[in-house]
Amino acid sequence: MRASPPHTTSVIDREGVDVYYEVHGTGATTLLFVPPAPITHSQIFKAQVPYLARHYRVITMDGRGNGKSGRPTDKHDHTRAKNVADMLAVFDATATDTAVLVGHCSANWWCVEFAARHRDRVAGFVAIEPGVPFIGPVHQHWIDTHETWEAVLDDPQGWQLNNRHVYLTEHRRWVQWFFGQQLVEPHSTKQFEDAVEWALESTGEVLVAGDEGIAIDLPDRDEFHRLCAAIDYPVAVIHGDADICQTVERGREFAELAGGELHIIEGGGHLTLARDPVKVNHIIKQFVDRITGVPMQSHMWTRGMSRAKRVLYLSSPIGLGHARRDLAIAQELRQQRPEVEIEWLAQDPVTTVLEAEGERVHPASEWLASESGHIASEAAGHDLHCFQALRRMDEILVANFMILQEVVEDGGYDLIVGDEAWDVDYYWHENPELKRGSHVWLTDFVGYLPTPEGGDHEAFLTADYNAEMIEHIARFPRIRDRAIFVGNPDDVIPEVFGPDLPKIRDWTEAHFEFSGYITGFTPPTAEEAAELRETLGFGDDEKVCVVTVGGSGVGRDLLEKTIEAFPLAKREVPELRMIAVAGPRIDPATLPTHPGLEVHGYVDRLYRHLSVCDLAVVQGGLTTTMELTAAKRPFLYFPLSRHFEQNFHVRHRLDQYGAGTHMEYATTDPDALAEAMVREVGRAVSYRDVETSGAHRAASLIAELV
Amino acid sequence: MRARYPDVAATVERDGLALGYEVFGEGDTTVLLLPTWTIVHSRFWKMQVPYLSRHYQVVTYDGPGNGRSDRSVDPSRYAADAYAADAVAVLDACGVDRAVVVGLSMGGQYGARMATLHQERVAGLVLVGPALPLAPDPDRATIADNFLRPYPENPEGWDKYNLAYWHDHYSDFAEFFFSQIFCEPHSTKAIEDAVGWAAETGPDVLEAEAMRTPVGADGTRASVAAPETASEVWSQVLGDIDCPVLVIHGTHDRIQPHQAGFEAARLAGGELVTFEGSGHMPNVRDPIRFNLVLREFVERVAG
Repeated sequence: MRASPPHTTSVIDREGVDVYYEVHGTGATTLLFVPPAPITHSQIFKAQVPYLARHYRVITMDGRGNGKSGRPTDKHDHTRAKNVADMLAVFDATATDTAVLVGHCSANWWCVEFAARHRDRVAGFVAIEPGVPFIGPVHQHWIDTHETWEAVLDDPQGWQLNNRHVYLTEHRRWVQWFFGQQLVEPHSTKQFEDAVEWALESTGEVLVAGDEGIAIDLPDRDEFHRLCAAIDYPVAVIHGDADICQTVERGREFAELAGGELHIIEGGGHLTLARDPVKVNHIIKQFVDRITGVPMQSHMWTRGMSRAKRVLYLSSPIGLGHARRDLAIAQELRQQRPEVEIEWLAQDPVTTVLEAEGERVHPASEWLASESGHIASEAAGHDLHCFQALRRMDEILVANFMILQEVVEDGGYDLIVGDEAWDVDYYWHENPELKRGSHVWLTDFVGYLPTPEGGDHEAFLTADYNAEMIEHIARFPRIRDRAIFVGNPDDVIPEVFGPDLPKIRDWTEAHFEFSGYITGFTPPTAEEAAELRETLGFGDDEKVCVVTVGGSGVGRDLLEKTIEAFPLAKREVPELRMIAVAGPRIDPATLPTHPGLEVHGYVDRLYRHLSVCDLAVVQGGLTTTMELTAAKRPFLYFPLSRHFEQNFHVRHRLDQYGAGTHMEYATTDPDALAEAMVREVGRAVSYRDVETSGAHRAASLIAELV
Repeated sequence: MRARYPDVAATVERDGLALGYEVFGEGDTTVLLLPTWTIVHSRFWKMQVPYLSRHYQVVTYDGPGNGRSDRSVDPSRYAADAYAADAVAVLDACGVDRAVVVGLSMGGQYGARMATLHQERVAGLVLVGPALPLAPDPDRATIADNFLRPYPENPEGWDKYNLAYWHDHYSDFAEFFFSQIFCEPHSTKAIEDAVGWAAETGPDVLEAEAMRTPVGADGTRASVAAPETASEVWSQVLGDIDCPVLVIHGTHDRIQPHQAGFEAARLAGGELVTFEGSGHMPNVRDPIRFNLVLREFVERVAG
């Protein structure tokens, strides 16, 4: 899912070639993002747009040959003049008088030419890894392969793939080589996949036309130098010093010629905008504000010693489970530190729970891109590839991090607590100078694990992500002032992070404190349970089975299968009654009906029902299964398929408590499910006690920092 | 020892009176740090000069009556317009055409007049806790009423803001006054410094200063009378300012209410940075933040 959709999209017919553009945000200042084409399209700016669109009007366009623009195969449709005219068409179609241009790679050449022709339309120019001709040195591999461009090579290797014939016959191979070389930064798997995927939305034929079209109206050297030297609008150049496509010297010389400022990203390659998005975003924002003279806003600064102690709590929005435990921790923290003010940066559905409890939700929460919406969009049937879903959430994580950073930037918070707030933890390790306040990291699992069906490649990817985390923490131990594992050492899965990587448990014990599990509620005593059953209308002669599938639409398949099994089970256990909770995203009216079955869209404080039921049928989510464990109810749990956390981490933890009956969705038919229900319903269980002091312990660990 | 010694320390004479000025650093941009009430001299900028002079040329001078300037007892030398003329004379002596001008407290009056009478010399104006009668301040009216009367037998607090008391117990008055200026806890060093600078002048000079005419020839004395008239006059002055303006004002300022800074920013079409918990001289008690805010403004108006 995209972090923020455009409010306007349109296509301009440019003499038979479609040119697509999007408009995001509003504001007096407009930014036009121009991607190099046809090698990629406007999604290359996906880490910039959501942030900048909160401050300016942002226009992106797909250059001819990729994205939602046309795919001309005639090289005469790919000249500089045509590309520059496309930019003008976008200016006019969007009624934009002036804009700050932001280009990447060869699009910067078009930007310079555009400004020369339409000076009054350009307020400034940010050139990222500029591919401008005749300036600075050219990498030797481009010079070498220029010679063999037309040749049909016997067995082309490496940079020799930069060849007309290879483009036409082995497009993918070239694209993979090219981006593989560009992404010099370790752990770039996601950026690599993105770039290859976008490139492959075009074809080898279009790419050849694009490359050859450039040569048609190339200016001469002196003419282009004169053009650059005459630049009188503000320019900022951003360039990775390990750029294998455009030499960093080219960026430096262009900045000097244009009288612009230069920002070198040391250790960065050709895609700093994707690989160091936070830094690039801040450079662009500061540049634009400076050249447009945005006034310093009237603001308040509070003397250090006049400040109240303030905590910003970030509660992961994926599933509601974190909300309850975070509330329990916050309440404990207030007991221990009554003077501390707690604010929350969170999103729906967590904010609903927080507001109901009278907690203070930071207004910037409104701007957050929806993580739970993304996860829901990734699920289908009883399947959620949780690891890939997290990887594909990269755009949302950058967008949300930029918001968090604005909230904490002035240093007004003493402490930032992130319960699986991946964005903050990740980007503070990537941009350690941005850390503000102390930082507590909380999680209930450590280590990405591959699913068996993912094969070697998924194992490689999970190991790469784990390695990056391990390197982050080793390099910058100052980013996490405290890391808390919500559980016990035995709950950590006895696996390794990957080949040549540590054992997960050893590493976790060395880097975390353990709070024990935190349910956020105390299970009822036998007496209270009897009362509660009465309150809820559970008859003494009834055996109540609760089916719940959480708040997303993911659970429909399990719900339907369980409802199908219900009459079969009821035949064996006539006193069986079923309460099925469909959640906000499934319409109860669309589910079948049976005598003894009730279907609810929403049940207030469902944990009460779960704590006194005679059986529960649930997914493999940690919160619900642990609530059932704490209340010592028999339950059947079906982990979502390809969900590594539910299949490995949660299952391992439940085994520690001897709790629940693990079921596999794919191999369980309604008969087998009914049989398991009959076997389990009302069974006396002997689970290990779930600790009740977890929130207190976690709060004590946090309180030491504030 | 000073953290930064001046590159030039000289005097300039204006209308028969010697004014001591100092120049630090170099650069295309000049920042002029104005004097304030002459009970102190230019050293009250000591937390700013070393930092600013690494980036700009910084000029400070002592107003008439303290520091290395002559101890004039002519009230007309203490009028805001006279200060504005002194500041221009100092810029002339330094060969500076335009400067970002910073005035604190009474210096806010001098800077505001400079920006209207000599607008070509002012690239931007910073007013810190400006002494401008733009907000209701009933305590001040009482204090002004009592200024020329005999002081009570056992004077407490603002009873000491009294001409006769100044003459009889000058250093006690200074200690009281600076305890109000520096209301932030743990301000002992700041108070000692200021009391020391106050000791370099005396009640005769302060008396002359108190009898000044603030703006034009309407006869109002800012220290002692007619707040309504003064308010109109100063509103007009601020409305006439057309350079960028930044106001910095502490919420705990016991000398000039924060509301006055808010009004000054509004009238001048400028920006307001509020220092929550700060008193009348945040440049001394919160110098780091103060310096950063000041630099940001200078960069923007002159960078």
